[in-house]
Amino acid sequence: MDRRWFGTLLLASALVLGAAEPPAKATLEYSKAVPVVDSVGEDQAVAKVIAPLALELRSSFGRELVRCPSGLFRGRPAEENLLGYWVADLMRSKAAQVLGVPVKVGFTNSGGLRANLRPGILKVGDIYEVMPFENELVVAEYTGAEVVQMVKDGLLRRAGEPISGVKAKVMGTPEKPEITVTWSDGSPIAPDEVVKVALTDYLLTSGDGMSAVRQGRRPITVGIPLRDLLLDECARLGRLKFPLLAPAGGRYEFSPEVAQAIRDRRKLSW
Amino acid sequence: MVRRVLFAALVAAVAAVSVPGQSQEAHGPVRLTLLHTNDTHSRIEPFAAGNGAYSGKGGIARRAALVKKLRSQLDHVLLLDAGDVFQGTPYFNRYKGALDYQLMSMVGYDAVTLGNHDFDNGVDALVAAMKEANFPFVNCNFDMSGAPALAARVKPWLVKSFPGLKVGITGVGVDFKGLVAPRNHQGVIWKDPVASLLQVVQHLRDVEKVDMVVVLSHLGFDMKGDAIDDQILARRVPGIDVIIGGHSHTFLEEPVKITREGGITTIFQVGFGGVNLGRMDFVFHQGSLKPVEAEAVKVQ
Repeated sequence: MDRRWFGTLLLASALVLGAAEPPAKATLEYSKAVPVVDSVGEDQAVAKVIAPLALELRSSFGRELVRCPSGLFRGRPAEENLLGYWVADLMRSKAAQVLGVPVKVGFTNSGGLRANLRPGILKVGDIYEVMPFENELVVAEYTGAEVVQMVKDGLLRRAGEPISGVKAKVMGTPEKPEITVTWSDGSPIAPDEVVKVALTDYLLTSGDGMSAVRQGRRPITVGIPLRDLLLDECARLGRLKFPLLAPAGGRYEFSPEVAQAIRDRRKLSW
Repeated sequence: MVRRVLFAALVAAVAAVSVPGQSQEAHGPVRLTLLHTNDTHSRIEPFAAGNGAYSGKGGIARRAALVKKLRSQLDHVLLLDAGDVFQGTPYFNRYKGALDYQLMSMVGYDAVTLGNHDFDNGVDALVAAMKEANFPFVNCNFDMSGAPALAARVKPWLVKSFPGLKVGITGVGVDFKGLVAPRNHQGVIWKDPVASLLQVVQHLRDVEKVDMVVVLSHLGFDMKGDAIDDQILARRVPGIDVIIGGHSHTFLEEPVKITREGGITTIFQVGFGGVNLGRMDFVFHQGSLKPVEAEAVKVQ
């Protein structure tokens, strides 16, 4: 084979190899997060499907329940989660009432509360927005040490998850925090003491990133969906003409340095 | 004879170059617009007053109008969603996601992936809602062998073809652990999205010969090292052109470009609740046969 044809063969091979190369690169020419606002108008076919369903939903979800003069808010990191405290208190008291046994702790996850309750007259739909999930109220047993760990897990996960029956202090610095977890009256938690904790079936089975929560033993299903618990309480207060007020705060206390670190979303080091 | 064989080889080689996977070669520059949403969370209607910056924004009837207008103005459009269509308003509680998928079908979605909240009522309820969807679902990192009805509805990847252009689309979902109750993802096992994508992207590139790879990701934009996120994906999986993200509800003002081996991966995510519609316009320039071996050829 002469050198000219050898060269041609090499070229042919090169082109075949080249054909297997990745294709042309796309160039991003324009991009935008286009706001979906009133001025874009509505697609009439889609709007036509929604209209009767919206009417039906408003009639059932627009039913008024109770006045909530100041609203209940989840708060920002390192702030009190008054909405969460209200839910945790209700979970704990309802579980104790239904089961007829002391339930020492109520514990839920702020990620499961999907909206704030804004000031004004609360409607059924508002409670659905707070608790859209089909979660059930359950009770499980934990040791005191596990309860403390649960609180610490919650501090790491979301700067403290909503809790009832327990309070926590995080003093010191983000690098060297000093954590104290006690019962809500300030008495110490005995590590070996076995207590009942009210929580949701979702938390018990998934943990929501908090491993201690999954260690609950002898679970009992109370038989009440969490949303129904909130709806019933609002309806009860409404019937009595009582307003829905914020529960007691003071369940988490942070040193200024730790609070700042939480607000800055810096990782704490315990 | 030798010359004839070699000539035939050359003709074959040139033919291979002119009809390769690079399907835009005969057409000149091709434009493609990706429209996208993520974490719409059953926000069928616009946000009501009292929702801060979101008040009065969103609404799927408006989204439909906007998409229709853009489709009428643009050549090639794909409408995509990065998951968490379900959960968030009473519409989901009442209609279990079927209404969301019905309306998304009317809007004309081309592909949708699954988020953790799409499993909120369990696998059977998800499959039931999917009956209202006329669009395909994509995911490559869920082992659905224990949930055959879902597996039948979700493809690991798909290819959308336009004149002069082939686009590969796949999806990845977030780890169920700590996010989805075990009973709600029964039969579905989460697998490492990086390992899953490495295989799928290679297949799309080498076998399907696509011009662009788009990943619909429900992993989150920046998980602060706690989990695999979109930025990690972009760096660890070569060959991804675009990641349309979700899960972290991140309102990106503009796409983020990650330089990785062999190119750039563009990541975009547009918050949540259907407040925004993402838009990215790409241009594919003609011919990219790289002269990588040219220097070895010395034609006498």
